[in-house]
Amino acid sequence: MVLSSAARGFRGSTIPLEELPAPDEVGLDLPGAHRVHLVEPAVGDLPAPLQLTPGRVVGLVGSAGSGMTRLGLAMLAAHPATGPAVYLDARGWLCPAAAWEAGMDPDSLVIVRCDDPVAWGRVAATLVEGVGAICAEVPAGVKDPQLRALAALVRRRAIPMVLRPLRGDLPPGLAHLRLMARSVEWDGADAGHGRLGRRRLVVEASGKAVQGRTLLVELEDHGTDAVHLVPRLAAAPAGRAAG
Amino acid sequence: MNLLAEAAGVTVGMRRRQAEAVCPVVVTLVADPGADAARFEPVAVAVEELIPRIEVVAPGLVYAPLTGAVRYYGGEEPLVERVVKELAALTGDGYRLGIAAGPFAARQAADHAGADHPVHLVVDDAAFLAGLDVARLGREELAATFRWLGIMTLGELSQLPRQAIVSRFGADGLAAHRLAAGEDRNPQPRPLPPDLAVEERFEPPLGDLDRAGFAARAMAHRLMAEIARHGAAPHRVEVEAEAADGAVRARTWRSLDPFDEASLAERVRWQLRAWLDHARMRSGPGIRGGLVRLRLAPADVSDEGRQLALHEDAHVAAEARRAIAQAQAILGPDRVLQAKPQGGRHPGERVAWYRWGEDPGAPVRDPSAPWPGGLPAPSPALVPPEPLVLEVEWDEGIPTRIRLGARWVPITTWAGPWRNLGRWWEGAAPADCYQLVTSAGAFLCEIRQGRAYLTGVYD
Repeated sequence: MVLSSAARGFRGSTIPLEELPAPDEVGLDLPGAHRVHLVEPAVGDLPAPLQLTPGRVVGLVGSAGSGMTRLGLAMLAAHPATGPAVYLDARGWLCPAAAWEAGMDPDSLVIVRCDDPVAWGRVAATLVEGVGAICAEVPAGVKDPQLRALAALVRRRAIPMVLRPLRGDLPPGLAHLRLMARSVEWDGADAGHGRLGRRRLVVEASGKAVQGRTLLVELEDHGTDAVHLVPRLAAAPAGRAAG
Repeated sequence: MNLLAEAAGVTVGMRRRQAEAVCPVVVTLVADPGADAARFEPVAVAVEELIPRIEVVAPGLVYAPLTGAVRYYGGEEPLVERVVKELAALTGDGYRLGIAAGPFAARQAADHAGADHPVHLVVDDAAFLAGLDVARLGREELAATFRWLGIMTLGELSQLPRQAIVSRFGADGLAAHRLAAGEDRNPQPRPLPPDLAVEERFEPPLGDLDRAGFAARAMAHRLMAEIARHGAAPHRVEVEAEAADGAVRARTWRSLDPFDEASLAERVRWQLRAWLDHARMRSGPGIRGGLVRLRLAPADVSDEGRQLALHEDAHVAAEARRAIAQAQAILGPDRVLQAKPQGGRHPGERVAWYRWGEDPGAPVRDPSAPWPGGLPAPSPALVPPEPLVLEVEWDEGIPTRIRLGARWVPITTWAGPWRNLGRWWEGAAPADCYQLVTSAGAFLCEIRQGRAYLTGVYD
């Protein structure tokens, strides 16, 4: 798949997953049963595991503020869909300016607002039948069988879909790739002397897309093109330039 | 534009600043073609009562075929007198009438008419058109190219060999040459099934313009899809509407370029609005009691179907439009939206929302203008429709923690404040914006009159 160059903001490794070093090679040891791979950020597009795949569902799990909306918009912007992409907004809060900053063309994004769990399934299925890519917030009250039927429709129609439950999680095995927010940090604010600049988001990746493993992936979100990404090991303290 | 503005020297197409320089007291209004169509409806009705089968090109411009009516009224002069009398009664001296052998020449003749001679009769179309500037073709780029080549008038263009024009400029050149020579567009009729019309009945009757507009859009989509399958495109479409009281209204809309789905749906909506307004406000013929049937029938099709760009896929685009239109039918028009950037200091202000399928119009605030004091990027991905009260604790002017749901979360760092004075001349209170960073994420907060409000979430 050729990535669109319009995707901006998120940076991840271009290293294929199967070539990632084992945890002991990067010298990191976190508690818990997870195997940890730190993905070295580099200048480039969304890493292959984070790209939308036709016929597959990507699940984004995390509370408001965790960065999942922007990640979903970046994935949508990077996908070379023919025709408009749709954001199914269950909260009614989506700000398209964030989508434009992520590289989405204003004319290519349609926002559909639906907070009713009963109508949501019908609307989502209708949209899946026609549009090229869809990112959908799932309101509370949508039943698991509905989501599974939707995933089956996505497979048949061979379009990519991102699902973000507003409450709880997706049914097990529904998402080909499930990304759950683990931590989010911002720098640049500098206690009143700066402004929000770079966001570092750590997500736990699981599902068939990562061969059944559970990985921690670290992503950086710049929000604008003004700050150039540097390799993590050479990262400068906030407030200083690095190149 | 009204007569006073015209008399002061304002012309159609002039920029606003130019118009204000020429006429300092000129008032600029936002264009509303739908409202214009409604205001023009009485004029169209008056002409239609004298001359059947009129064709509306745009609000304010109507073509009427004279041949049959001339025989009925015993000559061209008595007919023109009747038309002038009706137009004068409705518009005062605000009308212009052009009479020629073809629609293009008639249009130019109407433009030539003035306040002191509102009727301009053309005897020889080619001779009349010969002296007109190439800008009259209405295709700016093509006219610029003609001028660059030394072709200044329609007469000079018509004298050039048609084949040479076609080989250099293609279909556009051919159309321009025909118009310059006084031959109006000659459609290539295609053998089509006898009835390509689409019709729909409504129970209960539709009295709401929005719902009628949706129905029109869906029908325009069906009609265009069906015509496109035959590789053709309509230049005229008849819109027929039946009211609950049994009255049937019909109007033909005409376009120089082939209609596409959006332009056709737009004209159907204008026409429905005109009929609804006419019945409601002027007690004239219109749609009373609601719309029970709508029919769209193409006429005058040509093989000048829209050429898709290489990257476009007509089928995919049509499928997407259909799916989104269905979602709109389920949820209502206000829930399927698009947005355009516009100017503003707060991320919410920088978004101009509009309903999918409708014209966004010009931005209210210029997005390219500087907005000092505006919040810098990145924009919060989530912005509540109305600011929500947020509990924030402060320690000597420094925010220390905020309440998210049932728990207090410490603020690890913050940015701001950015002070927004607002419309202080109207008594609005200033507001201070902060970006508050916690372990749960970053939030945009506004302090107004001592209270904190959540205005964005950096999700």
